[in-house]
Amino acid sequence: MPLSREDIEEIRRILGREPTREELAMFEAQWSEHCSYRSSRRLLKLLPEEGSRTRVLVGRGRDAPAIELFPGVAIVFKIESHNHPSAVDPYNGAATGIGGIVRDVLTLGAKPIALLDMLYLGDPRNPHANWIARGVVKGISDYGNRIGVPTVAGDTWFDPAFNKQPLVNVACVGIVDTKTLASVLRGPREGDLVLIAGNPTGRDGLLGSSFASKPLEDSDSDIAAVQVGDPLMEKLLIDAVTEIARRGLAKLIKDLGGGGLTTAISEVAADHNLGVELHLDALHTRQELTPLEILVSESQERMLLVVDESSLPEVEKILRRYEVPYSIIGRFDGSGRIRAFFKGRLVADVPARELAKPRTLYREARPPIEALKGIAPPPPVREPEDLAKAALKVLSSPNIASKRWIYEQYDHEVGIRTVLKPGYGDAAVLRLLDGSGRGLAVKGDANPRYTSLNPFSGAANSVAECFRNLVATGAQPLAIVDEINAGNPEKPHHYWFFDQMVKGVAWMASELDLPVVGGKVSFYNEDASGRQVKPTATIVGVGRIDNVERALPACFSQPRNLIAIVGVTYPELGGSEYLYAVHGIEAGEVPRPRPASELRAASLVLDLASRGAIASAHDIGSGGLATAILEACVCSGLGASVDLDMVPSRGIERLDQLLFSETQARYIIEVPREALPTLERLARERGARVAVIGEVRDSGEVELRSGGKRIASIGLEEAREAYESSLPRALEW
Amino acid sequence: MWHRDFDPRGWDAVIIPGGFSYGDWLRAGAIAARTEAVERIADCIDRGIPVLGICNGFQILVEAGLLPGALLPNESGRFVCRWVKLVARDPRGPWLKLVEDGQVLTMPVAHAEGRYVAADPRGIEGAPRIHYLDGWNPNGSEMNIAGVGSRNGEVLGLMPHPERAVDRVLCPRGFEPSGRIIFESLASSLREGW
Repeated sequence: MPLSREDIEEIRRILGREPTREELAMFEAQWSEHCSYRSSRRLLKLLPEEGSRTRVLVGRGRDAPAIELFPGVAIVFKIESHNHPSAVDPYNGAATGIGGIVRDVLTLGAKPIALLDMLYLGDPRNPHANWIARGVVKGISDYGNRIGVPTVAGDTWFDPAFNKQPLVNVACVGIVDTKTLASVLRGPREGDLVLIAGNPTGRDGLLGSSFASKPLEDSDSDIAAVQVGDPLMEKLLIDAVTEIARRGLAKLIKDLGGGGLTTAISEVAADHNLGVELHLDALHTRQELTPLEILVSESQERMLLVVDESSLPEVEKILRRYEVPYSIIGRFDGSGRIRAFFKGRLVADVPARELAKPRTLYREARPPIEALKGIAPPPPVREPEDLAKAALKVLSSPNIASKRWIYEQYDHEVGIRTVLKPGYGDAAVLRLLDGSGRGLAVKGDANPRYTSLNPFSGAANSVAECFRNLVATGAQPLAIVDEINAGNPEKPHHYWFFDQMVKGVAWMASELDLPVVGGKVSFYNEDASGRQVKPTATIVGVGRIDNVERALPACFSQPRNLIAIVGVTYPELGGSEYLYAVHGIEAGEVPRPRPASELRAASLVLDLASRGAIASAHDIGSGGLATAILEACVCSGLGASVDLDMVPSRGIERLDQLLFSETQARYIIEVPREALPTLERLARERGARVAVIGEVRDSGEVELRSGGKRIASIGLEEAREAYESSLPRALEW
Repeated sequence: MWHRDFDPRGWDAVIIPGGFSYGDWLRAGAIAARTEAVERIADCIDRGIPVLGICNGFQILVEAGLLPGALLPNESGRFVCRWVKLVARDPRGPWLKLVEDGQVLTMPVAHAEGRYVAADPRGIEGAPRIHYLDGWNPNGSEMNIAGVGSRNGEVLGLMPHPERAVDRVLCPRGFEPSGRIIFESLASSLREGW
């Protein structure tokens, strides 16, 4: 986003003179939406920062937040979008997204232990979208695998709305002991040194965050704003920086990400009421650069370390040992100003605070006409004669079908922590390596269709979905981070979606007692013709697991075990995968968010899990009950028989409603017969609605019954074929 | 152990772990194979010290000419991470001492360049080998080769990751922690010989 006329006036006022070229570039980088949240800050305050179950150790405002997982053990996690770069150069755009989010986690001294990728991609049959999809996955695969951090979970969605502009949201989870954490939170003092470690600075990614803060143009000039990643340097940085942090040698660590040196240095100085004197010519560079280029370059794999004079020799020793290039480019002082020199000449002299925190922009929000699609009941459709065929159609929709083609390209096991791997559970479960058997669950979720039809309820449902996915593994959800992907904030019809999504996340997070400890906003997700992509609220959550051996898979485990459903089913087909995949309709009221039911259902599932009274659990989400049962069967190779008349429901008139409704706050759970009394007793105590609806069978088929007779039967082989082959077929041609 | 600090004296066995040495630039293992550390490992082999290369370690051993054959990009052109079933043939030497001929093992693979090609199949005839079971070959390897050893079995290269198949809690349904036997074999070999 170039600076507006008012911005330039403001800069003149701040400086009391005409800005230099360097200063203008610094303001443009830092005042971009990407770096300073000008259009979003006001609304983001609505997100709850605290939760009664969660100890938040580092809240919002740093590169990454931290929460306590167990006493003395902190989890650092953060989400980031690389939508714009991935649209122009899918491979490097996605790869550098991984690099950036890993460095955010490193800033708190944490060891990165897991990556997640939430990808909202175009129609895989569209050649351009297909090229983007393959490039994005390959970029994440090559970068994530090479730095030795497993990619363990994510979310994938295909929709023609993302043909030109995909949403590439990535998250990283790190682990750190609280002592190390405290040492990197000390912050700079006057006289401390500014050390830049990592790749030599080059001319890549100049003003990249400014590029990400405007709509895409179909021009080649955008390509210069995309950075290129170097995973080998990132790996060395991970090893060196975690060692420096663990030994208490750094007082603060910061990523040189969006906005480059300018953003990093101005935020640190402003946060600590300090100034800094920089000597730009001292920085190690790849080529001859102008001071302006040095200030705003977004070359990857660079980090800022604040080190005091006495720790410097040790820090230098570690960096040299890992062969990480570095330079010392300045020193903090009490001036409150950022003064940058180049070969002895003062090229910029700006107050840190004014640079770091531009005034908030008030944006107008107005619902567009298209929002009406989401407030009417869906148009009536004919009930399919063959429900088995409809169920297979939904199961094979790329949004539902197995994402094996993607996750097998990621090393999801490196680090030997991954207990529940992709394809086996609703969330990934990782263990700690301290031999205690404790661990955590992580998952990312969004539903672009829901949020485009009803941004408030859709975003709330994304929070609930993530919550359920964690609970379904037996984890106690602790906190979430969010990434709100929206259109152009200067357009009231786009901004309305953003406004509603933030409010939806804030509401549901408060209701579920989940602090939103961090997040990111991505604006200007529109194509060259000004059409916004489906606005999307992506949620990544972390949960605590006391015993990973008890972590619940989503696959059935034992023939003769009972299948029960938790929650009541309502006729809620609006925005469902069924309406889309079978009837080609994307309209209607999305399922109502039901926080009270979520809490009741979750407490029941967690209680049962802690008593070992369930063998598996699976959230009922996209595709409804039919999909949930088929998935649990396909991944275990076991069949099932289910009596649909036993499913607790209200207002349901037809079987397709029952099978495919996406009513929230529901799970299917697998209960050993001997645990039935426990189930019934706990359900009564918790006031949660539960009913046994069938049993697991070694029958090779999924049988659906109603009115005392068999109404559909789906062969397991057929279901597996539909589930497993759909995505490879859609992507590879 | 940092590669520059590696001193071959005083070690009973050497394991080159998986990973992406030098980011796999050029070819997997190609740069690492030309480092001093690998020269020192070659000396270890001459002195009869057991050496195991896992994944990238196997690629390095092959690149350095310390094991026969070559590891090319997977047939699919993509990285692959999945659990596979394996069978051991002619097991012997310190790493496979406790493994029986024809024993089935399960472990995960995670690599982009694991398609084994033997320049001359006679070169590995009779040598200890680990094959993917039919239907489990993830990369198009010749003869389903997942791992191959020197004739006496003192040097072994494996594309699958035995160290990831040690704890039952990490094994998905239907798979066993059979990587354990590799390390148990070594422990027994170092105690009682092989």
